[in-house]
Amino acid sequence: MKKSVLMSLLMVLVVVPFLSACSEDSASEGKVEQEITVNAKSEPPSLDPALATDTTSGWIIDHLFEGLYTKNKEGEVTPALAEDVKVSEDKKVYTITLRDSKWSNGDPVTAGDFEYAWKRVLNPETGSAFAFYLYYLKGAEAYNKGEGSADDVGVTAVDDKTLKVELKSPTGFFEKLLAFWPYYPVNQSVVEENENWAAEADGFVSNGAYTLKSWEHDSQLVAEKSNKYWNKDSISMKKITWEMVNDATTYYQMYQSGELDLIDTLPIDVIPQEKESEDFKITPYFGTYMYMFNVEKEPFNNPKVRRAFNLAIDRKLITENISQAGEKPAYAFVPYGVETPKGDFREQKETYFEENVEKAKQLLEEAKEEEGWDKIPKVEMIYNTSDNHKKIAEGIQEMLKQNLGIEVTLNNQEWKTYLDTTKQGNFQMARMGWIGIYVDPTPILDYYLGDSPNNRTNWVNEKYDALIEKSKGIQDEAKRMEVLHQAESVLMKDLPFMPVYFYSHNFLTSQKYKGIVYPVNRMPDLRWAEKVSN
Amino acid sequence: MYIIKRFFTMLVTIWVITTLTFIIMHSIPGDPFASDADVLPEEVLENMRAKYNLDEPLPVQYLLYLKNLVMLDLGPSIQSETRDVNTLIADGFPASALLGIQSLVIALIFGLILGIVAALNHNGIIDYLSMAFAIIGISIPSFILAPLLIKYFAVDWGLFPVASWGTWLHTVLPSLALATAPLAIVARFMRSSMLEVMNQNYIKTADAKGLSTTGIVIKHGVRNALIPVISFIGPLAAFLLTGTFVIEKIFAIPGIGKYFVDSIFNRDFPVILGTTIFFSTILIITLFLVDISYRIVDPRIKLTSKGD
Repeated sequence: MKKSVLMSLLMVLVVVPFLSACSEDSASEGKVEQEITVNAKSEPPSLDPALATDTTSGWIIDHLFEGLYTKNKEGEVTPALAEDVKVSEDKKVYTITLRDSKWSNGDPVTAGDFEYAWKRVLNPETGSAFAFYLYYLKGAEAYNKGEGSADDVGVTAVDDKTLKVELKSPTGFFEKLLAFWPYYPVNQSVVEENENWAAEADGFVSNGAYTLKSWEHDSQLVAEKSNKYWNKDSISMKKITWEMVNDATTYYQMYQSGELDLIDTLPIDVIPQEKESEDFKITPYFGTYMYMFNVEKEPFNNPKVRRAFNLAIDRKLITENISQAGEKPAYAFVPYGVETPKGDFREQKETYFEENVEKAKQLLEEAKEEEGWDKIPKVEMIYNTSDNHKKIAEGIQEMLKQNLGIEVTLNNQEWKTYLDTTKQGNFQMARMGWIGIYVDPTPILDYYLGDSPNNRTNWVNEKYDALIEKSKGIQDEAKRMEVLHQAESVLMKDLPFMPVYFYSHNFLTSQKYKGIVYPVNRMPDLRWAEKVSN
Repeated sequence: MYIIKRFFTMLVTIWVITTLTFIIMHSIPGDPFASDADVLPEEVLENMRAKYNLDEPLPVQYLLYLKNLVMLDLGPSIQSETRDVNTLIADGFPASALLGIQSLVIALIFGLILGIVAALNHNGIIDYLSMAFAIIGISIPSFILAPLLIKYFAVDWGLFPVASWGTWLHTVLPSLALATAPLAIVARFMRSSMLEVMNQNYIKTADAKGLSTTGIVIKHGVRNALIPVISFIGPLAAFLLTGTFVIEKIFAIPGIGKYFVDSIFNRDFPVILGTTIFFSTILIITLFLVDISYRIVDPRIKLTSKGD
């Protein structure tokens, strides 16, 4: 008796899964279905525009929501929900008229939804990590820090169609900010009804080109073209599926077997063989890989030592032989990709110094004399634990040894510990990467502001801070860029850091697709993608 | 009586584990809210810490956690903005458990057969072959075996999907990858246990009585040889059911295995505690089931605690 119970239990365990496997639906042949499967790599931590802080969440949110401005196919910031924008004489008050548009549940999108969404981001109780991106609004910082009230924040719905925005001071790049997800609207009645509205596909309401169809956590997320979206005729891709496959070898294999149509960040060892493929694509990525110097610790208190280190490494060798993923050597801080009236910001001045070992040696001698050192004090380079960072650190170590005769020791720490260490300034030379969240020199250059919490180098320069501050109030784009160039040159003269390369982003995209857009600081935009063959 | 006592021991064990984990977890450096984009004003950070009670002194945090734990509430996750730890486990456990059960079944069936056959052919060619297989199974790490399985069965021959989750076909390769090592271990255990049992006097007696070889092997041999194997199955089941980091990462399985590792890297304190407690509970339950199955296999074993 007992045995037969056990047996039938076993049977159930083995047979039942077999049965459930036989329900694959067959796709209709011939017609090309407009759908694409891509890889989000991990579960998006949040699809609530107020809480999302990472590019994975941002990628999906950008397809589900739309703000007052959006990016078009050419990557330019253009009006989206804003039908008409009037800017006051002093450039501080924006009066924005909204176009007629609807939420995915059929509610009209109102100016009130924007006011509610922005104030929600700033509400200290929301705990939004990106609230500071709204500090350009009048009264926003005070409210977020618990010192002011929501009523004093410079955003008001005058009526359902009119939004009045008051800025703290004129902000040249405000339109770029309006296309960034913390500024997206949320449906007030939906959010007020259910605090956890963004946790599941069921009950998720958005206003963009796509609606959230299903969301199996840690596995798969499906978005379908919204029939409520005001500009739906311009959207060609009907269905986007995001798989969540974290392992690089696995998603590469899924691409090979056709389970994924687009992947990014290939496993490094396959890049050489894929480079020749038609599917392969490298785009610049809006970020800089660098080593920070702690300017309060010997020997980096001396600017000549910092410069010598910068001159003594061979960046081309690093990008071509170590990182190998199409990165560009960096001799400045702001990466390529910022469009200005005079062309690309970086292309106007590509380098601030030239690598030169002889010059570096000479600088070191001078530094020794100035500081009264017999030899250069011991240097330890730290990086967060990762094979790629390790390889680059070892490369730099070897170059410094060969070129300058300096013995540098290496040390690595697990990420969160590393952040603690660098934040407390317990380092001489530490690796860091920085990606601009919107494509402008400002989010990059802000990194080394004297009061920036990210600036771990202890380098403070009043002239630099003043120039950046000045640039933020300039409306004329050409002039603003000029001041930002000046600021960058102050930074590059003092060199509290050692830029190594500008990031790149590599992709494999199936030839079945056309019209995918690859922005320099985001994941591919699939709104206009078209599947041309099966 | 036995069960009630067992239950209280379990509660005490879980409390001890919770306390130790709490202490160890808070003694590692690193802040859950730290990131390279360190742009949060202190005021916002305070709000976020308050959301997770991290602004309270540690003893208070500890008591608050225990209070919630009694209500079976494992708290919010810091990493996932919208799902709490109970939901993370409820969402992920079915996937991990399905893979775990399938691979446990594979490991047991084939492991036992392999072990028995090897023992019966002691020092024969089949014995050497199966033990060679067992050694290979134990020594090839799953992060090598899994990509190999994918390369041949999915990419080259197209029999199964490479990875991800959805249909039963998605579970085949990960179950195989997961089962190989335990299968090999079970086979070796079973072989040595069988060899020992088959040399016992009662087997010889049975043989002398003229019983059929099959009857002897199944009724007297396997049954007695199972006892040491069963004690190993308890922890094995607990490990397989709660998912494994490597297999779930390689096959993109939406299970809970990754939280055991990721939560530590993220300093996601509630998830570290939640997964640890969950694993301990499963382990304690399987150990209890093992004790019960001893009794089924060998009626001489009595389920009593010491002193009864």
